[in-house]
Amino acid sequence: MTATDLTTLNTPPSTRRSRALLWMLLGIVLALIFSVVLTVHVAAGGITDAASISKAIAAPAFTNMLGMNVLVGLAAVLFVNQTGWGTLRVILTVGAALLIGFILMLLISHDPLKAYNALLTGPLSRTNRWGSWVEDAMALTLVGLSITLVFRAQLFSLGAEGQIALGAMAAALVALYVPPLPLGIHIPLAVLAGCAAGFLWGMIPGILRAYLNANELVSTLMLNPIAALIYSFILDRIKPKSAGFTVSEPLTAALLPRIIDGTRVTTGIFFVIAAVIITWLIIQRTPLGYEIRTIGANIKFARYGGIDTKRTIVLAMSVSGVMAGLTGVYLALGIHQKLILGLSGGLAFEGIVVALLARNKPLAVPAMALLYSYLRVGGPIMQTDASVSLEIIRVIQSIIILLFTADGLIVFIQARRTKPKPPISEQDAAHIAEGAAAQP
Amino acid sequence: MTLLQNVLSGIFSAAFLGAMLRVTTPILLPSLGALISDRAGVINIGLEGIMLSAAFTGATVGAYAATAVDPSIAAWVGFGAAIVVAVLVALLLAFFHLQLNGDLILGGIAINILGSAATIAIGYQLTGGRGGGSLGLAGVQMPIVDLPFLKAIPAIGDGLYTILGSQNIMTWISFLSVAVIWFLLYRMPIGKHLRAVGENPDAAASVGIDVRRVRYLALAISGVLAGLGGIHLSMGYLNGFTRDMTAGRGFIALVAPALGGGTPFGTMIAALLFGAFAGLETRLPSLLPGVDIPSQLPQIIPYAATIIALVIYSYQRTRALTARARRFEQQRKQEPAPTPSGPSD
Repeated sequence: MTATDLTTLNTPPSTRRSRALLWMLLGIVLALIFSVVLTVHVAAGGITDAASISKAIAAPAFTNMLGMNVLVGLAAVLFVNQTGWGTLRVILTVGAALLIGFILMLLISHDPLKAYNALLTGPLSRTNRWGSWVEDAMALTLVGLSITLVFRAQLFSLGAEGQIALGAMAAALVALYVPPLPLGIHIPLAVLAGCAAGFLWGMIPGILRAYLNANELVSTLMLNPIAALIYSFILDRIKPKSAGFTVSEPLTAALLPRIIDGTRVTTGIFFVIAAVIITWLIIQRTPLGYEIRTIGANIKFARYGGIDTKRTIVLAMSVSGVMAGLTGVYLALGIHQKLILGLSGGLAFEGIVVALLARNKPLAVPAMALLYSYLRVGGPIMQTDASVSLEIIRVIQSIIILLFTADGLIVFIQARRTKPKPPISEQDAAHIAEGAAAQP
Repeated sequence: MTLLQNVLSGIFSAAFLGAMLRVTTPILLPSLGALISDRAGVINIGLEGIMLSAAFTGATVGAYAATAVDPSIAAWVGFGAAIVVAVLVALLLAFFHLQLNGDLILGGIAINILGSAATIAIGYQLTGGRGGGSLGLAGVQMPIVDLPFLKAIPAIGDGLYTILGSQNIMTWISFLSVAVIWFLLYRMPIGKHLRAVGENPDAAASVGIDVRRVRYLALAISGVLAGLGGIHLSMGYLNGFTRDMTAGRGFIALVAPALGGGTPFGTMIAALLFGAFAGLETRLPSLLPGVDIPSQLPQIIPYAATIIALVIYSYQRTRALTARARRFEQQRKQEPAPTPSGPSD
C-alpha cells in the first residue's frame, strides 16, 4: 500500500479493493502452505521424503504446533499488508546487516560458514529450539507493543526493562501468596497485578515528563536499575532459606498451561493476540490513540487543538508500562515459572528494534518479533556449534538500527554516484507514500 | 546520634575524599563529553558505548603491548589506541546523524549496544573466555602521580597526601579537562561557534559557520572525553576489562551538565556530587556497623540521586520559564500594544 498507490490512484476504488483482497487471499494461502511445510520440517526433524509427513503427524502435539505455525505465517501476511513495499526495505536492511555481520565473522572466526549456518538454520533443527523461538517471539511482541505506544507519541521511553521486572514480581507474588483459586480466576488476578505494577512504574517517568518536562530518556534509564534492585531486594526476602542461588520457589499456582510437549509454548499466546489487537484498537480507534498520534505528529498543534497533552503523555507512558508489565507476567508465569535474577535479559532494547522495524504499527509487530527472536535463538546455537560469541547478534542488532533509521543512506549513496541531487529525495517519497497509506 | 556522627566523620575523612575523587573521575570525563555535545546541540547518547570501547581497547592493546615493551610504555600504547577507537566510534555516530540524517537518539542507543556487544564478542574471540566477563589478560595500569612533598605541609599535610598524593594520572587529567573545556568553550573562536550552533543552528549557518563541521568536532571531542573515562575504568579504577563495566556511568553523565547549569565547572560540581553518592554506596555498610542494611539500598543511591537531581533541575527550569513568561505578560500589560490604526467597524 505505498509506492504503487501513486500509480494506481486512477483506478476505481472498487477495483483496487478487490485486487487488494485477492493479494490478501493469495498471501493467506501461501502462509498456510508455509506453515504446513514448517511444521513438518520441525516435527520430523527435516523433510526427506513422503514418510516425513506421517512421521510429523505422529509427533506429539502436531496440531498445536501447526496452529502456532499458522499464526507465524499470518503474522508475516499481516506485516506485508501493513507495510506494503516497506517490507522490501526491512528485508534489505536485515540482509545487509547480516552481510556486515558475516564480514565481521570472517575476521574473527575460523569457520564463519558453519557459524552462519548454525545461526540461520539452527532454530528450526529441533522441536525445543523451534519452541524457544516461538516463546521468545511472544515476549518480544509484548515488549515491541509497549515501545510502539510511546514511540507513536514521539517519546523515548527505555523503561520497559524495569517494568518487566516489577510486572513479573507482582504476578509471581500473586501466584505464590494468594490462596489457591481456580485457574480461571487466579491467572487473570496475577495478570492484573503485573499490569498494575507496569502501569505505575510507567507512570513515574510519564508524570516527570509531563509536569516537570524532565527528560524521559534519562529518567527511564535510571528507573531500570532501581526496579532491578527492588526486584532483587524482594527476591532476597522471599527466596527459600536453603536456596544457594537467588531464586524463588517454583511457582505452582496460576501457571499458564503449556500446550506443546518439550517446549515452553503456553496459552499465553492468547494474551499476546489480545494485546496486539488491543494496542491496535487503542492507537487507531480510541480518543487516547488519536491524542497520542497527534502529539507524535506535532505537540504544539495538539496543544493548540485543545488536547490535554500532559494527561496524554502520562497515559501513553503508563499504558506502555502495562504492555511491559504483561511481558513480565508472561516471563514469570509462562517461561521461567519461578523468579530468577536478570529475568528479562535485556529484552527492552530488543523491543526497540522490533518497534522500529514494524514502523510503530502494532499489527506489524508480531512478524518483526518473530524475525528478531529467530536471531536471538540462533545466537546461542551458533556459540555452542561454532564457538562464535553470541554477542555478534547484538552487533547485528545495532547495525540494523543504524541502517534502518539512516533515512539519508540512499540519498547519500546516490549523491556519491551522481553529483546532482535527485529531484525527489527518498525521504520525501517516503512522506508522500506514508500520507497515501494513512488515507482510509 | 552516634550513628550520624559515624556517617558524618566518615564522609569528611580524607580517605573518603580521596576515594570520592577516584570515583568521580569516570563520571566527570563523560559528563564533560555530554556537556560539549549538548552545547553543540547534538547530545551524545552513545557515551556508554564509547566508554566501553575505549576501556576494552586500552586494557587489551595495553596487555598485548606489555608482552613486547616495558609496562609503563605499554599503558600509554593502550591509552593511544583507546583514544583512537573512541574517536572513531564517536565519528561513526556523527556520520550517521549528520551525513545520513539518522535519528541521534536511536543512533546513540545503537552505539551503546554496539559497544557492549562488540567488546564482549572480540574479547571472547581473543581469549576464548567462556565464563564471566573478565578477559584474564595481565592488567596494565596508567601511572599514579605520587606527590610525597604534600606530606611536608604542616598540620594538613598527611590528610592532603591521602586525598591528592597518590591519585591516578587519569584523575588529574579529568580535572584538568574541566579547565581545558572551559577554555575551549569560552576563550576560543571554535567554542563560540560551538555554542552558537547549539543555540540556533540556522542563525549560526546564516553568519557562515559550518554547522555540520562544528558538530562533527563536538562529537569527536565528546568521544575523546568518554574514551578517557573508559581508560580510567579499565586501567586505573579497576585492573582490566570486564563486560559492561561502565554500569550506567555514561547515562548518569547525561544528567550532570543539565544539573550543572551547562557550564564546565557546574558540571564538575554535579559529577563530584554523584561521586560522593557513589562513594557512599561502597562505604555505607562500614559507616553504619551493626545496622542491617539490605545490600540493595546503597546500590540504589546513585540512580535515585540522579532522578532526584533531574527532578530538581527540571522543576527549577520550569519555574524559571513560567516566571519569565509572567514577566513578559506584565510588561505587555504595562506598555499596551499600539492599537490598530486601521478603520474600525
